[in-house]
Amino acid sequence: MLTVPEVHLAPMLPILIVLAGALASTVLGFYLPRRALTIINLVLLVLSGVSMGTLWNSGATAFGGSLQADNAAILLGLTILIGSAMTLLVSLDTAYRARVSFPEFDAMLMYAITGTLLIAFSGDLITLLIGLEVMSLSGYVLATLQESRPAEESGLKYFLLGAAGSAILIYGIAFVYGATGSLNYAEIAARTAGLTPGNLGVLVGGALLMLAGFAFKVALAPFHQWTPDVYSGAPTSVSLFLSTVVKVAAFAGMLRVFGGALQNAPGWAAVLQILIAVTLIVGNAAALFQTNFKRMLAYSAVAHTGFLALTLLGTPGVGGAALAYYLLIYTLMTAAALAIVAALQRSERGMEISDLRGLYYRHPAYAVALAACLASLAGLPPFAGFFGKYLAFQAALQSGYVWLSVLAALASVAALVYYLRPAMLMFMPDRTPAREYAHGERTATTFTVALGIIGVTVLGILPNLWYGWVANPAIWGTLAGR
Amino acid sequence: MIHLMIFLPLLGSLLLLATPKRWREEVAGFVAALTLGLGLLIWRGGGAELFSVNWVPALGVTYSVALDGVSLTLALVTAFMSFIAVLYAARRVENPGTMLSLVLAMETGLLGIFAARDLVLFYVFFEDALLPALLMLAIYGKPNRMRALVKFAAYTLFGSLLMLLSIIGVKYYGGSPTFALADLVQYPVRGASQTWLYLGFLAAMAVKLPLWPLHAWLPDFHEQNHDSGVPDVMGTLYKVGGYGLFQFALPLFPDASLELRPILMGLAAFTALYAAWIAFRQTDWKRLLAYAGLSHMGFVALGVFSLNETATIGAMYLLAFQNVYTGALFLAVGMLQERVGSVHTRVGGVMTQAGALGGMTLALWFASIAVPGLAGFVGEFSVLLGAYQVQPWLTFVAGLSTIAAAAYALTAFQTTFWQGRPLGGVRVADLRHTEWLVLGLPLAVALFFGVYSAPALNLIQPAVRGVLAALGGS
Repeated sequence: MLTVPEVHLAPMLPILIVLAGALASTVLGFYLPRRALTIINLVLLVLSGVSMGTLWNSGATAFGGSLQADNAAILLGLTILIGSAMTLLVSLDTAYRARVSFPEFDAMLMYAITGTLLIAFSGDLITLLIGLEVMSLSGYVLATLQESRPAEESGLKYFLLGAAGSAILIYGIAFVYGATGSLNYAEIAARTAGLTPGNLGVLVGGALLMLAGFAFKVALAPFHQWTPDVYSGAPTSVSLFLSTVVKVAAFAGMLRVFGGALQNAPGWAAVLQILIAVTLIVGNAAALFQTNFKRMLAYSAVAHTGFLALTLLGTPGVGGAALAYYLLIYTLMTAAALAIVAALQRSERGMEISDLRGLYYRHPAYAVALAACLASLAGLPPFAGFFGKYLAFQAALQSGYVWLSVLAALASVAALVYYLRPAMLMFMPDRTPAREYAHGERTATTFTVALGIIGVTVLGILPNLWYGWVANPAIWGTLAGR
Repeated sequence: MIHLMIFLPLLGSLLLLATPKRWREEVAGFVAALTLGLGLLIWRGGGAELFSVNWVPALGVTYSVALDGVSLTLALVTAFMSFIAVLYAARRVENPGTMLSLVLAMETGLLGIFAARDLVLFYVFFEDALLPALLMLAIYGKPNRMRALVKFAAYTLFGSLLMLLSIIGVKYYGGSPTFALADLVQYPVRGASQTWLYLGFLAAMAVKLPLWPLHAWLPDFHEQNHDSGVPDVMGTLYKVGGYGLFQFALPLFPDASLELRPILMGLAAFTALYAAWIAFRQTDWKRLLAYAGLSHMGFVALGVFSLNETATIGAMYLLAFQNVYTGALFLAVGMLQERVGSVHTRVGGVMTQAGALGGMTLALWFASIAVPGLAGFVGEFSVLLGAYQVQPWLTFVAGLSTIAAAAYALTAFQTTFWQGRPLGGVRVADLRHTEWLVLGLPLAVALFFGVYSAPALNLIQPAVRGVLAALGGS
């Protein structure tokens, strides 16, 4: 006889609301202008956030633990929603100029967000994989959506490398399943303790394959090569989405897997620290030599991946909290910086760094905001980037990775140089004609930038507003479920 | 009151953005004067007690501030020189709104550095003072500022990020619940890790002092800054390395300070002599002053590293008043530049037409090269006296730089203010209006504390004794 599986709707609600937005965009696109759809989607994102709020501390699960709305999921999910909302707001102004202003753009974006939320809420490897694929497939389309050579090239590159990454990840999942006989995070974590040496070898192999797969997704060197081309080739609002929301989700997945399921598995941490070291060196060194501002931000995203990944080396209590704090800050500052680029660029190639000269005298508010973003990205107080970096250093240092922390500190110096140059150029007087798009300042973009700057400043002066929520070690102790 | 003193300049700086153009100078002057007044009130009241609240409880970061002893002295000097800088900028800089705003914003950072009694808070203020300095250089600097900017920022961040790691390490390895200095001293780190953490901390302070070989940013920074010398004044105030070492490094890393003492004293002595030697060859007044300042900072470092009471008192005294007369000298160079259009040291004959400017400059130089009766002497003499008891030969080497100082200062002064007036030179005006105050007040301070050092020593001496007593004497 057929038995109906138990399905709890509540923990799925935040994801379903976003999915509804995606479906609505697909269907209503025939009847409504895109602007209306975007606004509907924004409202749905807010609703999704509210439904997440009601799940706080409930620890609800669905599908026998395959989907779990624990506090960790909610904190990461909120970060995802904030980044997504910022993307939508920016696209309100710039999608038309970027020639991606059609309902499919919104639909794809909402599908991608659904995928990212699935990753954050995942309770086993299959859910994770489904989320990852939904996110990635939508991402490939988003990167190619614009009708231009760079966009096509970047989309293809993203697709080919992303597919390879996914394949490696799936292979890793198979290995982990082979070693432990389970796909559920909690089960895996429980079974890693008493494995036979043979199985342990398989587990280590699986963990390393999964690490490589995730390294593709978050752009850890040497798996980062697609990033600069994709981020700079895609329309700027898409770059914004890919470099914030997608990265947050991929890190959420890494946190679930390496901070939870494979927490006690040997081997991966040693490899990860080498990947981080390479990422810090490659990302920061390459960013130093960029002349295009958007491309520089792409490399800066790679460099930040290194800092973000430092937190994974910490114990889940310290590292998870640091990661959750840093991800929100990273989203706010990167999104604000790219929003300004999106508003001021003349073409989707972004701006040359030298074009920024004298921006302060042409668009004073944007220039000050961009300077604040860059200062925050560089980790200068009183902006929140400082506390993010601080927490990352702390997580790594307290787990005994002293040399890596010192390397990260030295890499930050290089980072400062490339963030500083555009920031200071903006304030230098300039007599040549303006090189920005003349009608750049629009309400929605300005609102996004203001949101980012206010967030970064307030959270920098009063970090406790967010860190107070994420700091509770109990949240991160149960990453793998109960 | 202490919080008001720290944040009033920042409020003023934000207020300036909303002030109509014609009132900006008055508002800035008023805010700067009020800050100085608050400082004097705190001093009259015997200093501000430690005030501590949790800032980020989850991280153990506190907002702990106090102004007493050395920190109060330096805060007063900062408030005083910021006021002078505002006074001069208002008259000299064209459309000074942004500059005044930055000066005030930087003042908050500096006062915060001196008031902070929590390591993370110290770091935050430390970096906050950096941003206005960078912006001043970017907005008002000379053509080659980008190189100077990147150099300055890269050196500074290189040091301070290592310091940040040390800060985290001190708390973690010591097991202290918070970053407040009082707590950290209770839970000291022992053994080899203390030495490593000290080195990390030292990296930041050595850049800021600056100490050879981390000094290369300094001459470019001063050379490329605005001609008026206002950013340079703020720049001299920014040399908080000596203070940081005294206030934080000595209590937190006592064993390591003792262990590394000979090496660090050697570096300091070398810095003093080396900088004086380079200064001799400069033909740009600002570079000359920068190297002269570097030489003095070698003295400060020598005093602090020697862990000797007399020398440390001297170092703090020197640190405080060096800011006054070197800052005023930068402004004097700004005035010179305004009159003859150059900061070259071979202008010639300015004295014949601008006697007061020449006289004031000479008097300030006397203070700088430690002529008895002026503030520089008290500091340098105490440093030499105390350091001699610890490392006689190194002190002798450092002492040579006082002779070199007289040589470079007087040579440059002679070629600029005396000598023949070049044919066809423009007529040079003498001091006008507020310029008398801008140079006169610092000179009066240098003179007063050169003759009557008790008020400053009363503040510095107990603080130094307290810190060194905790080290177990020397």
